[in-house]
Amino acid sequence: MQKLIYIFWYIRKMRYVKIANEQIHDFLNQLKQYGKLYAPVKVSDKFYDRKEIDDVCDIAFDYVRTLLPAKKYFIHPKEKMFDIDIENGTYDEPEEKIEPFVLFGVHACEIVGLRILDGVYLRDYVDTYYKRRREAGIIIGLSCLPDDHCFCNLRRSDFVDIGFDLFLHELPDGYLVRVGSPTGHKIVDECAELFSNVTQEDIAAFREFEEKRQQMFSHHGSFDNMRYLLELTARDELWDEESEKCLGCGNCTNTCPTCRCYDVQDIPDIDGKTAERIRFWDSCQFRSHGLVAGGHNFRETKKDRFFNRYVCKNSYFYGLGTSYCVGCGNCTYFCPAGIDYLGNLLRVRSASEPEEVVHEHN
Amino acid sequence: MSDTMKPKVGIHGLTSCYGCQLRMASVQEILRVAQRFDIEYWSMLSSDGTIRHVDIAFVEGSVTTMADEEELKAIRENADVLVAVGSCAIHGGVQGMIFGEEYRKVFGEIYGNCTMDFEAKIAEPIHKFVKVDHNLPGCPPEEDEIMYYLATFAMGSYPEEKDYPVCAECRRNGYPCVLIERGEPCLGPLVVAGCGARCPGHNIACFGCRGPVPHGVAWFDSLARTFREKGMEKEEIKARMEIFGRQYEKMNEMIEKVFEHED
Repeated sequence: MQKLIYIFWYIRKMRYVKIANEQIHDFLNQLKQYGKLYAPVKVSDKFYDRKEIDDVCDIAFDYVRTLLPAKKYFIHPKEKMFDIDIENGTYDEPEEKIEPFVLFGVHACEIVGLRILDGVYLRDYVDTYYKRRREAGIIIGLSCLPDDHCFCNLRRSDFVDIGFDLFLHELPDGYLVRVGSPTGHKIVDECAELFSNVTQEDIAAFREFEEKRQQMFSHHGSFDNMRYLLELTARDELWDEESEKCLGCGNCTNTCPTCRCYDVQDIPDIDGKTAERIRFWDSCQFRSHGLVAGGHNFRETKKDRFFNRYVCKNSYFYGLGTSYCVGCGNCTYFCPAGIDYLGNLLRVRSASEPEEVVHEHN
Repeated sequence: MSDTMKPKVGIHGLTSCYGCQLRMASVQEILRVAQRFDIEYWSMLSSDGTIRHVDIAFVEGSVTTMADEEELKAIRENADVLVAVGSCAIHGGVQGMIFGEEYRKVFGEIYGNCTMDFEAKIAEPIHKFVKVDHNLPGCPPEEDEIMYYLATFAMGSYPEEKDYPVCAECRRNGYPCVLIERGEPCLGPLVVAGCGARCPGHNIACFGCRGPVPHGVAWFDSLARTFREKGMEKEEIKARMEIFGRQYEKMNEMIEKVFEHED
């Protein structure tokens, strides 16, 4: 029955409304009634990150990327899972009550990222921690313009038609809003006085924005064959050279919207009677990620670990028919060693681009 | 567990500031720790210098005198498990950054021609003299790690040592990266996590007090290359990395490798 409702939902025409710039702060304040509001703010000279919003004037609309992706609200960087009673051999998993919250200003690539996490965490073995938070989170998307590191267009994750409650597309005098869920409808209905109908000029401006945006991407074409090209070039010198630069710091995976590996540890109390199980973000770039009992390591060298990330990110997530990489460019932007992930993929895609590859392959 | 089954513990200080012992003595739950172990010996808290057999010996400080070396060997002979505590014991500490000819010169500048009743030597980490079973890193170690180590030992188990860098905790805490943003010589990528990236969290570049990540995954070469690209000179880079990493076996070689192709 529920499936049927969803089918009807999807085949319906989407609802479109407009919000004028003058109304946007009222709208953001009204969003707070649906839960704690989190949005991108400037946190330092160059960086933005999502924070809880008190004054909506602090919200940055023109940010490109945040220090940590939206996943941090659904898989906490470090969290307690449950308490263990060692003496009785039992554990107590408290049913955590998650208050609803609103993520404002989520870009398309990150929305695709969350859908990939859904596929991993909600499909066969449901992660209840993730599920509860995902159900409590309201997603308000926001259009964006790419910087040099963005390549969501090559990943087909530059435009989303599902995975949000509302999606705001920038117009010269406001935003064209796509309504993407029953919750989205509810918000628009309850804040009806803030919205107006979409005009012909708005549609023209929307089209113009989308065209401008497509032209701004620095690379065009497709990365659909990337997985296979990577496998075929696994022995190229490129991987020796690039992994040599790598610091093994794990910034690339921690800032990735779809990296989801975590480590689990039991922390006993000093009395030896109780313990707590915690989990925290892990990284395939760390030595112990591939270390198993008996001391064998599946990814013994830094090069093994480095190349693993390229293969993992470029393998296919069958649930969405897309790669695990959404083309956000975070791993390049936040790499202290300046390793250019997109540049390396371009070298793999076409041996003549960029030029350095010519002598490396000779 | 009856009192007779309490693990026996000895806490020893070689040449160091005794800060690690102070940190261990000042954990919030020190009274519960005291109930859980028989503390046979504690350099900082007792003047009783007899070394007796213990289940677990914690050793702070580097080996800087012959007396240190002898004491350490006696500790090892009388302990089932030996834990090196803090940067001095694990890596030699800041005092370990002076070597060879330089050592003679510095020694002369400080002590002149005066005679001393002990023989001083280059400060070295304790693993150069005895087998170390576990390292509890820090300068000083963090309270949560001290408690974790003690609790696992109390259960008859052993702790899992972190093998990833400060950057991991810096990102998990959502701190802006001072290396990327301001090009500051942050040693976070080299240094073992555990401090929760305290300094970068206060906008200060990590200077490596916790020492390099263990198990050969401290990439001095890659970080030297990164620093070079940010405009730092070789000597500057070395000076920065030497403060706490001088005795890391391959440090010098790794930095030199980066610069050898340059000239």
